[in-house]
Amino acid sequence: MLRPIKICIISRHVKVRQPHILSRPLITGPPPNIPPKHYQTPTSTPLPHPTPLDPSFQPDPETGDGKPLYVPGSPAERHASQGRRSSPLRRGMHESWWAKEMGWFNAVAKTIPTFRILDEEGNLVKDGMIPEVCQTHLQLSFTYKIMTLIPVVDNVLYQSQRQGRISFYMQCAGEEAAIVGSAAAMRSGDEMFGQYRESAALLYRGFPLNSLMAQCFGNVEDLGSKGRMMPVHYSAPEVGLHTITSPLATQMPQAAGVAYALKLDENRQGDCVICYFGDGAASEGDFHAALGMNSVLGGPCIWFCRNNGFAISTPIIDQYAGDGIASRGPAYGLDTLRVDGNDALAVLTAVREARRRAVEGQKGVLVEAMTYRVGHHSTSDDSSKYRPVEEVQEWTVVDNPLQRFRAFLVNKEWWSEREENDLLKKNKADVLKAFARAEKLPKPKLGEMFNDVWAVAKGEEVPHVIIEQRAELGRLLKKYGDVWEPWRRERKRYVEEGEDVMDCASRGS
Amino acid sequence: MPPRFSLPCRSASAYFSKRPGPSVLGRLRGQHVDAGLSSPRRARAAPSPPEAQGVEGEPSISENQLLLSSAQEALATPGLHFTDGHGPLGPTGRGRQTRRMNLYGAIREALGTALGSNPKAVIFGEDVAFGGVFRCSMGLMEEFGKKRVFNTPLSEQGIAGFGIGFASVGATAIAEIQFGDYIFPAFDQLVNEAAKQHYASGGAYPLPGGSLTIRAPIGSVGHGGLYHSQSPEGFFLGAAGLKVVIPRSPIQAKGLLLSAIRDPSPILFLEPKILYRAAVEEVPIDDYTLPLGQMEIVRPGTDLTLISYGLPLYTCLNAITLLHDPPATLMPLLPDKLRPPRPISIQLIDLRMINPLPINSVVEAIKQTGRVVIVHEAGPSGGVGNNLAGELGRRAFEYLEAPIGLVSGWDTPVPLTFERFYQPDVIRVFDKLLETLSY
Repeated sequence: MLRPIKICIISRHVKVRQPHILSRPLITGPPPNIPPKHYQTPTSTPLPHPTPLDPSFQPDPETGDGKPLYVPGSPAERHASQGRRSSPLRRGMHESWWAKEMGWFNAVAKTIPTFRILDEEGNLVKDGMIPEVCQTHLQLSFTYKIMTLIPVVDNVLYQSQRQGRISFYMQCAGEEAAIVGSAAAMRSGDEMFGQYRESAALLYRGFPLNSLMAQCFGNVEDLGSKGRMMPVHYSAPEVGLHTITSPLATQMPQAAGVAYALKLDENRQGDCVICYFGDGAASEGDFHAALGMNSVLGGPCIWFCRNNGFAISTPIIDQYAGDGIASRGPAYGLDTLRVDGNDALAVLTAVREARRRAVEGQKGVLVEAMTYRVGHHSTSDDSSKYRPVEEVQEWTVVDNPLQRFRAFLVNKEWWSEREENDLLKKNKADVLKAFARAEKLPKPKLGEMFNDVWAVAKGEEVPHVIIEQRAELGRLLKKYGDVWEPWRRERKRYVEEGEDVMDCASRGS
Repeated sequence: MPPRFSLPCRSASAYFSKRPGPSVLGRLRGQHVDAGLSSPRRARAAPSPPEAQGVEGEPSISENQLLLSSAQEALATPGLHFTDGHGPLGPTGRGRQTRRMNLYGAIREALGTALGSNPKAVIFGEDVAFGGVFRCSMGLMEEFGKKRVFNTPLSEQGIAGFGIGFASVGATAIAEIQFGDYIFPAFDQLVNEAAKQHYASGGAYPLPGGSLTIRAPIGSVGHGGLYHSQSPEGFFLGAAGLKVVIPRSPIQAKGLLLSAIRDPSPILFLEPKILYRAAVEEVPIDDYTLPLGQMEIVRPGTDLTLISYGLPLYTCLNAITLLHDPPATLMPLLPDKLRPPRPISIQLIDLRMINPLPINSVVEAIKQTGRVVIVHEAGPSGGVGNNLAGELGRRAFEYLEAPIGLVSGWDTPVPLTFERFYQPDVIRVFDKLLETLSY
């Protein structure tokens, strides 16, 4: 289910091809009479096969008109065009017809296809669409640049966590196309809710490397969380990123709220929300609450699922028994698409279209990007305990989002080996420079611990519990800050070495 | 007097040696580089500890006198009841075996014992099938099968509700919430349903034999920040009908967890996550329980009662040691009457269960000393400390010789970079002891 049929292995190296685009037939899945091939690894254990509508089930010819189960337009529009008539329509939201026999089903359509533009080698699929974005390659090459930057960032920070230089890190290896491709489809005024693995989207939106590093080190330049949050928990209103928090799916109903606010705000017509979440988060109650509220109340929102096969160790076979996350879109009446998450061009094209639908219809749109989490869940995880290392290696070789997209750009003569080499050098230099800088900076003032707990209106006082507790720590620091060795050492890490808290009269800076 | 009550005899130099023994975090790190110690679940999986944030200069948890390192001490644990009905000498009369185990090993042992002794028991939660992010269910799926040890979809409210339903028909549900920080989606199911089920059904549900236990790791690890270091136990204090248990060590954890699993009330079993690897004890390998709902006096004393539960008990014991044997730099801060060799005798109490509070026995204990300091990691507002202090103030007012002291986190979220100054550490407890003793 997760993985498309592989028919060839591509080389690790950039292939410079003839300028004309090779094309091959679109892979649509196994023909119906051949059982699908199943791999014996947890992610590819066969899901229960969705049963399409019973082919023998037909609308009653006398009362039905053979219309498909779902039709475009809202019930109100249909009601206006068709008038009131005796129909199940009056008892529910969707087009239906009276039937004399039971027609059980457990899928709303036949198995949901996965949209792609490029195959694993980066060639356009035969008779596939040539998206509008291909008319200019500037955006595509910028997308590619960010896709190549993030592995360098991830690598440096991952290794630094291993050396104890930062406390935690999460990589996005394997999901670069899904994350950057979707970010590329959004516009600068849009709002973004991340789960926690979308730092590449943040970089695409112009979040500086220095700020990213500052957050991961929790140093004095971490303006987002002022050293309070774990690494990768960015907060960047300047690029529309709402604060990342660790709980899963909590961002989703919030995104629905933002979408509704955009819908009401005359000055923000044309803006859109994108909300990222994973296959695991979609099991939380908040997922259903969010889609339900957004579908009823409206507001432009793209629900972007990174279906990477795992929630920490839990494979999707333990996560859901239906047809992925996409099958849930129609349940809420949302326009829905499943896309090959390792095909940057398809993701970009799909999310552009999703954005158009969301903004024009002032409604939610669900996109499920099928990808694979090549990295460990986080630095606290060792995925070899629950999935074969070979499976991971196979993904990096057989279906590598970076290589696919690069091959396409090279085919089109929009990218060259020289540019590639220059970019890799530049990325490495930029990242190491930002890293070195961030590591040298001290931690914020100790008093930041007590600031911002309650939002305080101008002219109002900080609540007394905070003032008193801050003063209590100040008193203790004055008494023990020099004579108690662990504290003497520890407070040196902070700007002003805790002196700001020792000023007991201070009401926060 | 059994050795476990003997005064810790660590010298002051232990606090100041240039190269202290490996710190707690350092140890964790050394043993398990890819530790499940941390797992922002999500961002989950508490982060592995960076060296810079280790608690250098303080004795490590594993060297703490709270931990029983001999089989003899372990088998003499007060209240320990072997399920086979025989005493510490066992059915053969030749004694019983113990094994060195850390906290997650002891939890795993208890879970295995529960599954082995009760065919109607199941274990479930996020990522438990491969062993759990904290390794508490390691090997159990292989041993007891996928039907009894299984992953659930990622939904805490689902896990809690599923557990309530499973237990309501007479079976035993042992659920894991991956982090205490993520228990809030389950709050409705726990507080409105689990806690009230027995009352609402006139005592009919759960049907006989039904039992629900929810395990979750809590507490600070020094670098978990807002969502991996919380101590959410205070939120459950008002949930009458729900029992909240917090063990302090491997021996305690195994016995209390087995009691919890066999108790008809729904139980929230909160495990201090930093102890998973750091706390090691000789744990009896046979099936045994410890009494639920009884506090334990882990050190007798007459001058002051120090009350805590879970991880801060280790800090408390270190603070007592520090008070008995302060380094030269702290000596000037001690009032004359507290300077060594004046023997100050401090009683240390492990509450073990915070809802319902074992209030009567605590009141009796503090009547003997007249001075009380309570220590916990969660912030003061809405926490165990204020709840307990209120009861003690009402019930033992005339016995108190000083205001009840509270050393806790602050009323802020747990801030990553400042976590060392958020946690109630040894010097803060030390200071409160000075203040309360010299009042």
